[in-house]
Amino acid sequence: MKIGILSFAHIHAESYAWHLGRMPGVEFLGIADDDPVRGEDAARRYGTRFFPTYADLLAAGPDAVVVCAENTRHRPLVEMAAQAGAHVLCEKPLATTLADGQAMLEACEKAGVILMTAFPMRFSAPILEVKALLDRGQLGKILAANTTNQGQLPRRYRAWFVDPALAGGGAVFDHTVHLADLLRWFLHSEVVAVYAQTNRIMHGDTVEVETGGLLLLTFADGAFASIDCSWSRPANYPSWGGLTMELIGQKGVVHVDAFRQNLTLYSNRDEHPSWLSWQSDPDRAMLEEFVAAITARRTPRVTGYDGYKAMEVALAAYRSAATGTVVQLPLE
Amino acid sequence: MRIGIVGVGAMGSTHAAAWAELGVPIAGFVATTPEHAQPLAERYGASVYPDLASLLSACDVVDICTPTHLHRPMVVQAARAGKDIICEKPLARTLDEGRDMIRTCREAGVRLLVGHVVRFFPEYVRAREAVKAGQVGQVAVVRLQRDVFRPRKAQDNWFLDVEKSGGMILDLMIHDFDYARWVAGEVETVFCQHIGDPSISPGDHALAILRHRHGAITHVEGSWAYPPPTFRTRFEIAGADGLLIHDTATTAPLAVFRHQAAGDEAGEVPVPASPLLESPYTTQLKAFYRHLMYGDPIPVTAADALAALQIALAAITSTQTGAPVSLTPLPEVEA
Repeated sequence: MKIGILSFAHIHAESYAWHLGRMPGVEFLGIADDDPVRGEDAARRYGTRFFPTYADLLAAGPDAVVVCAENTRHRPLVEMAAQAGAHVLCEKPLATTLADGQAMLEACEKAGVILMTAFPMRFSAPILEVKALLDRGQLGKILAANTTNQGQLPRRYRAWFVDPALAGGGAVFDHTVHLADLLRWFLHSEVVAVYAQTNRIMHGDTVEVETGGLLLLTFADGAFASIDCSWSRPANYPSWGGLTMELIGQKGVVHVDAFRQNLTLYSNRDEHPSWLSWQSDPDRAMLEEFVAAITARRTPRVTGYDGYKAMEVALAAYRSAATGTVVQLPLE
Repeated sequence: MRIGIVGVGAMGSTHAAAWAELGVPIAGFVATTPEHAQPLAERYGASVYPDLASLLSACDVVDICTPTHLHRPMVVQAARAGKDIICEKPLARTLDEGRDMIRTCREAGVRLLVGHVVRFFPEYVRAREAVKAGQVGQVAVVRLQRDVFRPRKAQDNWFLDVEKSGGMILDLMIHDFDYARWVAGEVETVFCQHIGDPSISPGDHALAILRHRHGAITHVEGSWAYPPPTFRTRFEIAGADGLLIHDTATTAPLAVFRHQAAGDEAGEVPVPASPLLESPYTTQLKAFYRHLMYGDPIPVTAADALAALQIALAAITSTQTGAPVSLTPLPEVEA
């Protein structure tokens, strides 16, 4: 199976490229990027071919592509790939507007190709353990959840993460969608209302987008859940950040810290302690699922629709923060 | 100074132990059922009084540790008797009651000190000192969390009677509403969701989002939905220049592993405990004592207690209306 990467804008492309070069049954076709310096550099580092245009890569006949463009640029690449008959794994958030998201779903549906959203947390071993616990009914019905996906200011990885024109927003778009998706998956229920408060006190002098955000979601089954999506980890925090969930069930409570599996390193060579992860790599499992779904001609475990519904929560949060009111879903 | 204690439940006995430790003589106790006061009276060499009026005639300062709905009538009675008053949190069951208590005490010329004991817990005090010293810069996102089990008093479990206690939000979460205000300033809006139906939930559980006047936002979790003997508190204060984190799960200095299960040794009502040379309840009452005797400053005023009450009541309203609640500035607080 031939798989290419469209754009190396997103930092996660690094991990996908590394895995695609090593997966049995996968031929890493190459990397197309509208930034030739970035694309050529990546192609050289991962020992693959560089395509100067997206059309060139699609013309080389990929079975599938991974779209890692900036958030607001997903749509044209997904539409091109669909027209070329390539299955698509699209980086999260799926899109930054409802119209873009709908167009992407329709394009892939029409072309008969898979659209999968890159939600690697669905493949995190600690998260899967919680999912199994819940599905076995160990906690009873889930009534409430307190969740966090906090991180450092991501500008250190890619400058566009804090550019509203390319990212679509700040911390809310960056960090809400993972948890919105996991909560929908855990609860088997859709979000019906969102309340959010945001601010720009952290890094307020250097970025234009919100850096602090708190959301409170209501689900159709009556459960409620909060999400802290803040970029509240200082530059000298031991890691980029993390993702935690505390779920209150009728029969008990479970806490999960998805990035807890690490060593603490105190080194005279570093300015601060750091955490060295030894967790199972969820990216590998996510790419394997993408390949398996294509091979079996089945729906992947995470769909484009899942990406759309998670994006909708983030969009509702922006509306709520702007108006100070509770915003009902689905959005029109 | 002779202290008179009203109420002999978890707080009445905790306060009695603290007064004894401080060497402040306990004149007597009052309890709804006088026999329940007898063990404490014997232990501290105090008398049992049949009612508040007779206790007031025998003490200089009254320490009210009764269920919340009784705070107002007792504070008013004590104030009119000219006694300085210590009152457990929450200040009152309603905002009108709280304002009336403050007004009555002011008119009577007596002092009203409210037991917002979290302001005396060293981890919370230390964090605020760091914030005030600018160690995290301007406060941006605060997270406060208090997870315990549902109070399980064998008799008269007034905590579970919303009319009397206001429920978990007023009884437990108010600690963190007060602390949020202490570290991030006045609160403008409150949004809160809550589950309390005992046929659905093992205990009340609520999540709230506060917006502060100066732009900070705070997430508060309060829970009675954990199994005994859970008493977990956690907080994070993220600012423009740094981050403070506290979690009882990672700061417990002892871990004990017994071959035979210890069983559930928690009391009827969750009370926090980390090994300290002085209990925060003692620290609190020492501060109150020094304030009453020598005029030393205290870190929590009756107006602070009223502001915390206002936030908690707004949270309860939000759970009922499903909408955020804007707070009207209180003259008592703004003064």
